[in-house]
Amino acid sequence: MIENIVEISKEQLLAQVQEMFYEGYRFVTATCVDLGDGKADILYHFDKDLEIRNFRLTMEKSDVLPSISKIYFCAVLVENEMKELFGLKINDIAIDYDGRMLLADDSPDAPMAKRQIIIEKRESAGQ
Amino acid sequence: MKKTIIPFGPQHPVLPEPLHLKLVMEDEKIVEAIPAIGYVHRGLEKLTETKEFTQNVFVVERICGICSFMHALSYCMCLEDIMKLEVTPRAKYLRVIWSELHRMHSHLLWLGLLADAFGFESLFMQLWKEREKVMDIMEETAGSRVIISSNQIGGTRRDITNEKLNDIVKILDTMEQDLKSVFKVFLNDYTVKHRLVGVGTLSKDEAYLYGAVGPMARASGIRQDMRMLGYAAYGELNFEPVVETDGDSYARTVVRLKEVYQSIDLIRQAAANIPAGAINIPFKGNPPAGESIVRVEQPRGEVLYYVKTNGSKNIDRLRVRTPTFANIPTLLKMLPGSQLADVPVLILTIDPCISCTER
Repeated sequence: MIENIVEISKEQLLAQVQEMFYEGYRFVTATCVDLGDGKADILYHFDKDLEIRNFRLTMEKSDVLPSISKIYFCAVLVENEMKELFGLKINDIAIDYDGRMLLADDSPDAPMAKRQIIIEKRESAGQ
Repeated sequence: MKKTIIPFGPQHPVLPEPLHLKLVMEDEKIVEAIPAIGYVHRGLEKLTETKEFTQNVFVVERICGICSFMHALSYCMCLEDIMKLEVTPRAKYLRVIWSELHRMHSHLLWLGLLADAFGFESLFMQLWKEREKVMDIMEETAGSRVIISSNQIGGTRRDITNEKLNDIVKILDTMEQDLKSVFKVFLNDYTVKHRLVGVGTLSKDEAYLYGAVGPMARASGIRQDMRMLGYAAYGELNFEPVVETDGDSYARTVVRLKEVYQSIDLIRQAAANIPAGAINIPFKGNPPAGESIVRVEQPRGEVLYYVKTNGSKNIDRLRVRTPTFANIPTLLKMLPGSQLADVPVLILTIDPCISCTER
């Protein structure tokens, strides 16, 4: 089970990350979990003196997420990765590879995202 | 001054794996460096969602050969946490022994590659000759030299007899003496120091800010080693992280040199104190729905594993943040201001593992 996890909103993200920076926490990484219903969990992990603190942000995948790379430059790679592999929209990344850090021009879009299959019942032609 | 852009990699004699750097130069001096990866991305995290949770132990071992045992260990620890499995004491000690053997062969491989990068061929050969002894131990204890597949959820798949452990300690005792003469060259040779001292200095604050982990962080004075968390049997062994303060390429080399001795000491302690008993505990059924985060100290630094399960035989999500992924941003700090001739050494001092980074 995950200890030290706090739920935050998209609006609270930058202020919370800035607070972690001032308190001397190291940015470990971020984790994107596609929830499969058009939503995603983003977990931000920080460490200080081997104590890990986690923040969970649940968002609509169509929403735009602010980048934390202006506060923690080392978030550049993971934010580009989440953008490419999960199709998230992340604004103002310090170095933005524009979807081509890991993927090539002929790669599938957002290969790590969960595919939603929608089954529609259609009226038959005779009715 | 006119700027020139020099592409470095993805194919380069100093790089065992493909990493590309766009180096913006003014004469011989680097003013900007932009990394590019993506040449060996395999989608292993996605693959784990399609396999049974027990099969994933073998998938994650393929993330990286050098630290394969620690990848499997991290994954197993996540599942053991979710499934509330208490690993047997003997398995915990076996995990320490194989982990430290992996750290030894990784550091010796890296030291050899570094010697090769600055053109010291005989030093490279001496180091890899010593590394072969570790590989032989791996083969004798697990049947394979690199990917040893000795972890399983709930413990280990193999045991090492106490007689064999005594033999291993004897080999390591001899090896420790042999390494002293080789390491003396690294520590004192004029040409080695000339290539490493003061090159690519990263201060303590910079290392922290850029997210450095493992020997990169410890060479800059940060006392950070995930083994201090006490996972497996590390909490029962005497252990103090190796820390240097100069933050240059030489300090990073010294940290790794000392960690080879430290690994020998940890194996010695583990072999002396390993309890008798079972090496794994059986379990039935699928893991319940849950999440777990585990951090383990690999040879290159901290690895973070996140696993989310859903109650079925498949897992929902596996996320791996490998140490090289964390150390690449430090290159963007170290390279600007450096000379082009130092680029191979600088790249090597982060001990890059691109197959890990891209997964």
